[in-house]
Amino acid sequence: MVPDFLTIAEAAALIGKRELSPVELVESRLSRIERHDGKLNSFIRVLREPALAAARAAAAEIMAGNRRGPLHGIPIGLKDIYETKGVPTTGHSKILIDHVPQQDATSVRRLTDAGAIVLGKLATHEFALGGPSFDLPWPPARNPWDTSRFTGGSSSGTGAAVAAGLVLGGTGSDTGGSIRGPAALCGLAGLKPGYGRISRAGILPLAFSLDHAGPMAWTAEDCAIMLQAMAGHDPADPASADRPVPDYRAALSGDIKGLRVGLIRHFYEDDNPADEATRQGIAAAVKVFEDLGCSVRELRLSPLAEWAACGVLIMLTEAYAIHEATLRERFSDYGELFRDRMVLAALISGGDYVQAVRRRRELAAEFATAMADLDLALTAATPSEAPAIDAVGKFATFERPMLTMPFNVTGTPAMSVCCGYSAAGLPLAFQLVGKPFDEATVLRAAHAYEKATTWRSVRPRLDG
Amino acid sequence: MSRAEVETALARAGLEVPERERRDIAAAAHFIDEMGERVRKTRTMAAEPAHIFPPPKE
Repeated sequence: MVPDFLTIAEAAALIGKRELSPVELVESRLSRIERHDGKLNSFIRVLREPALAAARAAAAEIMAGNRRGPLHGIPIGLKDIYETKGVPTTGHSKILIDHVPQQDATSVRRLTDAGAIVLGKLATHEFALGGPSFDLPWPPARNPWDTSRFTGGSSSGTGAAVAAGLVLGGTGSDTGGSIRGPAALCGLAGLKPGYGRISRAGILPLAFSLDHAGPMAWTAEDCAIMLQAMAGHDPADPASADRPVPDYRAALSGDIKGLRVGLIRHFYEDDNPADEATRQGIAAAVKVFEDLGCSVRELRLSPLAEWAACGVLIMLTEAYAIHEATLRERFSDYGELFRDRMVLAALISGGDYVQAVRRRRELAAEFATAMADLDLALTAATPSEAPAIDAVGKFATFERPMLTMPFNVTGTPAMSVCCGYSAAGLPLAFQLVGKPFDEATVLRAAHAYEKATTWRSVRPRLDG
Repeated sequence: MSRAEVETALARAGLEVPERERRDIAAAAHFIDEMGERVRKTRTMAAEPAHIFPPPKE
């Protein structure tokens, strides 16, 4: 009997000892999808037969002594903006409902080369921006902790599927917080690596200069395992960084003594005030880091609204450039949330776009200076537990400045880490932010925090 | 941004937006104004944007 919930690391250990077969594992996840996804809507498309065939091939390779590594035989899901050869990649939109790519995205190929088994394509907000929407070809994903609640977005299906144990890990993308938001609201670990660390080739773009691809899983260790496979230079992506990729899992020493952490308190106390439960969760997390030997001091940056304005103006303008012609021709084929958010971009002047990009340089320099004598920054990931799914307004993104956007503006690695549960039993989270390309320190600190707390032992009840 | 300015921008963009959605968009246009104000700082003429074109490689 395969447990309902397994981390990638746990499953990999069992597979390595030949106590668990990839076939059993994949069959168990397909069974869970059949049993639970009717309520969660996390999958757009389940690739049952290809997944079973891949599992049988993985089992044969492993039995023959050719195990590729910790992802070999591990079932994952792909946000449906990651292109897959011969399998429709829709962006959760009627616009691309018949789009069948000729090749896999680079990151998909790297994951499958490492032995991961793709169970299917996961729900997303339309083109990673417009959601949660009820007027698209597929319904929005729902939060496994309470299906009346929002998953966060835009990597909504990945958040739901991993939290529910339908897959052990999944891919997300993050232009203003689309990995960290759903990771926070669904209780996962979600890593937005540094800009350029993971190739975006073959991933439907939202905004070229802010888009990041990244892993979402139950633990920091699982994110490290996925990042190891996904990271690396790719000439097919002009923003890809040609830098060495460290051994992320080896960095998870558990020892974080001496790390210097800057607490960006004003982001969640003054600029976008978080609820009391979130503040308490962060305060308790700070105490854990101090007990583990870190020094924590206040870090003050420009007001959050400055970062959000810079990021949102760039995001909307670049996205509009991608969709402008199609919006003219097929306006009503987009969902209302996506198209009306996009129409706002038609009101942005070319001058203001360039001013936003000039502002980005200033803000990135400010962050680099502020971090000169720090190893990490810590702040809230979201201001509260997951709201009701039907309470998310059309322009909610603009009403309160996003806590996640600053680190899309800087392009530095940032990770959502679960720090407990609200009175309603819903996940709470904080963000850990690193220096450029220093995902290893972010993962090391997140891993140490997870090991020092009990939050990773709590899973949603799906049958209640 | 006035409703008339929004209508002019939508016409220039060539977008056929239903009336109900036009009202929503006009009501949200102030977000764009406010964000624009925030990025329009006094800076030197030489202040470069973040994404200058990289020099071509040989």
